[in-house]
Amino acid sequence: MAILELHDVKKNFGDKQVLKGLTFEVPEGSIFGFVGENSAGKTTTMKMILGLETIDSGQILIDGKRVHYGNSLINRMVGYLPDVPKYYGYMTPKEYLTLCGQLTGISKNDLSDRIEKMLKIVDLPINKHRIHGFSRGMKQRLGIAQALLNHPKLLICDEPTSALDPIGRSEFLNLLTSLKGETTIVFSTHILTDVERISDYVGILHDGVLKANDSLDNLKTQYAKSQIIFEFISEDTAEKAAQILGKNSHNNQKQVILNYTGDYQIIAETVLNTLLQSHLIPISMNRQKTNLEDIFMEVTA
Amino acid sequence: MKSTWFFIRKELLESWRNYHLLIIMIVFVIFGIEGPLMAKLTPDILKMASGSGFSIKMPDPTSIDSWQQYYKNMTQIGIYVLVVIFSGTVSGEVSQGTLVNLVTKGLPRYSVIVAKYIVTYLQWCLAIITSFLISWGYTAYYFPDNKTPNIWLGLWPLLIFGLMFVAITILGSTLSTNNYGGFLISVIVFIGLTLLNLFKDSKRYNPIALVTDNMSLVKGTEKISHIMPAIWITIFSALVIFYLSILLLRRKKL
Amino acid sequence: MNNADIITNNLPLFIPLILLEVGLDVAALIHIFRHKNYRMGNRILWVLLTLFLNPLGAILYFIIGRETY
Repeated sequence: MAILELHDVKKNFGDKQVLKGLTFEVPEGSIFGFVGENSAGKTTTMKMILGLETIDSGQILIDGKRVHYGNSLINRMVGYLPDVPKYYGYMTPKEYLTLCGQLTGISKNDLSDRIEKMLKIVDLPINKHRIHGFSRGMKQRLGIAQALLNHPKLLICDEPTSALDPIGRSEFLNLLTSLKGETTIVFSTHILTDVERISDYVGILHDGVLKANDSLDNLKTQYAKSQIIFEFISEDTAEKAAQILGKNSHNNQKQVILNYTGDYQIIAETVLNTLLQSHLIPISMNRQKTNLEDIFMEVTA
Repeated sequence: MKSTWFFIRKELLESWRNYHLLIIMIVFVIFGIEGPLMAKLTPDILKMASGSGFSIKMPDPTSIDSWQQYYKNMTQIGIYVLVVIFSGTVSGEVSQGTLVNLVTKGLPRYSVIVAKYIVTYLQWCLAIITSFLISWGYTAYYFPDNKTPNIWLGLWPLLIFGLMFVAITILGSTLSTNNYGGFLISVIVFIGLTLLNLFKDSKRYNPIALVTDNMSLVKGTEKISHIMPAIWITIFSALVIFYLSILLLRRKKL
Repeated sequence: MNNADIITNNLPLFIPLILLEVGLDVAALIHIFRHKNYRMGNRILWVLLTLFLNPLGAILYFIIGRETY
């Protein structure tokens, strides 16, 4: 069942059409990586899902209920983590979370326990320190606490890792992975390795529509470019090897790149035999795997 | 409605922690003392300035001088203090992006305006009334005459004017992107109303009457019924401006 | 009649006024020295304004000088 559905969503800014009929679904319990270049419309899409931005045409459904601009009741099922969350600096984390909890309708009895639990999860101390003295990483962690406070069915993260250092990023991704099953996560990013590391589904937004939308494995098979890369000791030998291996290969300085279809085991064996017979010994041999970057380049090309 | 209450509590905390309440109270308490003090000192100061050679006949100060000073402060500097402190109340939150999170948590946008309006107005009322009571106490002690029979009659038009002026401050803050813009809008409205008062015919209808006729009301030379049209126009304008602010924030990009 | 007389004759008015202004100045100075960044101006400016422009300096500091967050 899909927790989030977009049907033919369009959005103009002035006479520029940013979204030209965006349609996709996010299955419940999955992690959906939302990828695209800067200014492709990722943030706009997310703001529309949150009811912060008007929808020109089409519709967005969360858990089967239609989203309207400015309607905040559906928002209570959604958690939102902006790239750089903004708080009231004069509050303590506990006071801020209390305000969030009250607004989102958590009962008075549960709220205090829930807040202490969330602060423990994100590893923030429970004391009287006010938010204005917090570092960026601490603010981001408080952001996670507020986003998850109301047990959201859907968690929306807009470029959550862009402001974090490598360690913070890694911790954050682990935290997201640990939420799998509890909640559905949609996160936008242009850091492709992050998507590859944690997401089940990938959507590539380009030119106002979703160019690709599938599980990562399916995308890999669909866009797979099977290659073996050999490296030789000199350019001379590389050139000879390329000639012997035929038209599916080409040499690039000391490297020879071979495109193939079919089973790696069988192909590799014949190729190696051919090379051995000509006394051309590669110094390295690599099976090239398709990664998300290749797919992204191909889709948006 | 519950959300509005939670946001009111947030606004109160903000006013307390950001020293807004403290500042507005101190300024108005000083005003409250200053009225009777200036009335008391003016003859002495003039005497000193004129030197010992001459002896000018100075009429003894009365409660009228004391209240005059009070209303002068309340309706001029007092208004600007209010605007300076609160002109960033909406624009600050919009420009910093602090509302985004709360709105996505389920805070209706109208709650923001309603809560800010109520809290701002309450603080201003508290300050004005405290200042009024201080001025009253001193005036009764130093100038026990009966030249100002209707002291309360001067105060409540001022409080009603506040209903409209707080609404203007909030609207100005919603319209602009920074607190200088909001400040400018409110001040321009105030000056505009004052200029409008130059047309004699409009005086009974101009909301500014609520902050210019206070002394006549206190002395009893003017009846409240004279400015009743202005009072109704002020209340009606307050409602319209308040509603406009709600509509504006609804359309504003957070 | 001199300055001192004016003050002693009106003590009930002057005492609270002076207390308020001194209190406000002290509060402003403490705040100025406990913070490094200001919305506008610098430390020297605010200290001078607070000390020599009574009580406006301290009030201005709290309204427009203090860093908001």
